[in-house]
Amino acid sequence: MRNSIIGIIVFSVLAVCPLFVGSYWTGQLTNYLVYGLLAISLSLVWGYGGILCFGQAMFFGIGGYVMAVFTKGMIYPDLTSSYIGLIAAMAASSLFAVALGYFLFAGRGISGAYLAIITLAIALVLERLMSNWYALGGYNGLLNIPPIKLVLFGLSYELWDIVPTFYIILGLVAVIYFAVTFLVSTPYGLLLTAIRTHPDRLSFLGYSVLNIRLSVFALSAAIAGLAGALFVTLDGFASPTLIGFTLSTEALIWVAIGGKEMLLAAFLGAIFTRVAESWLSEIFGDYWILILGIAFMISVVLLPKGLLATPFEKLIGKKRRAIPPPPAEGDPSPARPLPPTPDQ
Amino acid sequence: MSFLSLNSLSKSFGGLKAVDNFSLELAEGSLNALVGPNGCGKSTLFNLITGSLTPDNGSVVFKGDNITGLSPHQIARLGVGRKFQVPAIFEELSVFENLIIAARKNRQSISLPALLNQIKLWREQNQLAGELAHGQKQWLEIGILLAQGPSLILLDEPTAGMTASETRETANLISMINRDQKITVLVIEHDIAFIEYLDCPLHVMSKGQILKSGSFSEIRNDDEVKELYFGRSQETPLMGSDIHA
Repeated sequence: MRNSIIGIIVFSVLAVCPLFVGSYWTGQLTNYLVYGLLAISLSLVWGYGGILCFGQAMFFGIGGYVMAVFTKGMIYPDLTSSYIGLIAAMAASSLFAVALGYFLFAGRGISGAYLAIITLAIALVLERLMSNWYALGGYNGLLNIPPIKLVLFGLSYELWDIVPTFYIILGLVAVIYFAVTFLVSTPYGLLLTAIRTHPDRLSFLGYSVLNIRLSVFALSAAIAGLAGALFVTLDGFASPTLIGFTLSTEALIWVAIGGKEMLLAAFLGAIFTRVAESWLSEIFGDYWILILGIAFMISVVLLPKGLLATPFEKLIGKKRRAIPPPPAEGDPSPARPLPPTPDQ
Repeated sequence: MSFLSLNSLSKSFGGLKAVDNFSLELAEGSLNALVGPNGCGKSTLFNLITGSLTPDNGSVVFKGDNITGLSPHQIARLGVGRKFQVPAIFEELSVFENLIIAARKNRQSISLPALLNQIKLWREQNQLAGELAHGQKQWLEIGILLAQGPSLILLDEPTAGMTASETRETANLISMINRDQKITVLVIEHDIAFIEYLDCPLHVMSKGQILKSGSFSEIRNDDEVKELYFGRSQETPLMGSDIHA
C-alpha cells in the first residue's frame, strides 16, 4: 500500500514538472520517462525474475523498428495506425523473447554470468544485423517516423506538441508501472521470488520453471518493446544504436543504481541518471562518466539494493506481504481452496 | 504391483558407476531407509527417481506408470516429493508463503494452520525462511513437501545438522507422516541412531548397489555388513545410539 502511495506521489510530482521546467526539459523528461519504462522492464526480469539480461536493449530496438515499419507504411501503406504499431511492437519483442528464452532456459538452462554474456552477444549480433540491413536503413536507420496518432471516436490527434506528448507518455508509463506493481504483489510475484531464490525447489514442487521464466522474460520484453516503440515516435528515427551494447549497458547501470528489486527505484534510477548526465556533462564534459562509474561502484559495493531502493525500503517497510497468514493461533481453520497459479 | 519399482537402474559419470544395476521395490504406505557412506550413490539414486538425471539403463515405475525420463516437475505433479540434503527453501519468503507456494500444487485442499502446527513453526509463520535456525529449515522443507500433497516422499538426510532432541522430534514427525497420512517414505540418512528410532526396513548401499536389506537388528548383527561395510570393529556406528539418551 505504501509502495503505491509513494508511486502516486512520484508520478504526481512528475506530472507538475512541465509547469516549472521549460519546454526543452519537458521534452527531455519525456525521453527519460521512456527510458524509465525500459528500466522497469529490466527490473522485472532481473530484480524479480532473477534473469540477468545484459541485452535488454534488443527488445527496445525490436519494438522501435517494428513501430517504425508499421507507422511508415512499410508493411502495408494503409496500415499506419499507431495503435497497431504499438501492439505489433510489443508482440514482436515478446515473441522474440519467447523464442530466445526457450533456447536459454530449456533443459537445465543457462543462468548467471553465462546468461549475461549470451544475451549481450545476441544484442551485439542484432545491432550488427540492423547496421547491415539496408531495407531498414542500415547504419543510418529509418528516418521520418511519424509521431503517435491518437484516434478516438472518429477524432484524430497527432502528438507533435511537447506538453501533450509528455502527458500521454507519462500516463502510459504510470499505467504500466502500476500494472506491474500489482502483478508482482499477486501470487505470481511469489513465484518470481521463489524462482529467483531456488528454481530447483520450485521444479520439485511441480512447477515448470521454463514456463515461468518464459512468461516473465516475454512480459519484460513486451514492456521494453513498448518503450522502444514510444521512443522512435519521439525522436522520429530508429537506428541500430537502439538495439545494441551501449543502451543495454546503460539500462543495467540505471537499474543497478536505482535498485533492481524495486520497480519505482529502477524507474527513478533511469530518470535521475539521465538528468545527472545532462547536468554533469555540461560541467565535466566527457569526464562525467567517471562520476557515473563511481556511483555505480558505490551502489554495487556499499548499497547492493540500490542508491534509491535502500531509503525507499526504510520508507515502505522491508517485506511485502502478498498473502496474509492464517488468523488465530491454536485454532487451525478448516481447509480452504487456493486460487490457481499462472503456471497451471 | 509395487508402489515404486526401481528396475536395474544404472548411472555412470565417466568411468565411475554411481548407481550399478540397482533394484528395489517399495510397498504403498511403507517406510524404508537407505544408508551408506558418502559417494555410494544414494543421492544419485534420488536424482534418478525424481528426474534430475536420466538413467543409462533401467526404469523407474511409480504407481504402475513408467516415469523414467520425465522432467522433475512432471514427476512432482504425479505425487513425488523430495527433500534435499541442504534445506531447499525459499529464503526470501516467509514460512507461510513457502507453504502457500507448495500448497498451490496440491490437488486437494489443505489446512496450512494445521500443517504449521505439525511442523512446529506456528510462531515463526511470518518470519523469513532464511532467518530460521537450521533445524527449523529442515522442518520447513518437510512441511513444504507435505503441503505439496505427495504420496511418496524422498528424504535426503533430513536430520543433518540437527541436535539430538531435534533428531528425535524429526523421527517422530516422519513416523507420524507415514503412519497417519499413509505417505510412502524413503529416507537417506547417515545418523544410525535416527534410523534405529524409525524402526523400519533398512537397505545398506555400497558402490551403487544394495549390499544388504533387512530390519535394523538384522543389519546391525550382519557380519558381512560389519566386515565389508562398517569395518571389523565391533564398535560400529550401528552399535551406538544417542537418540535414546
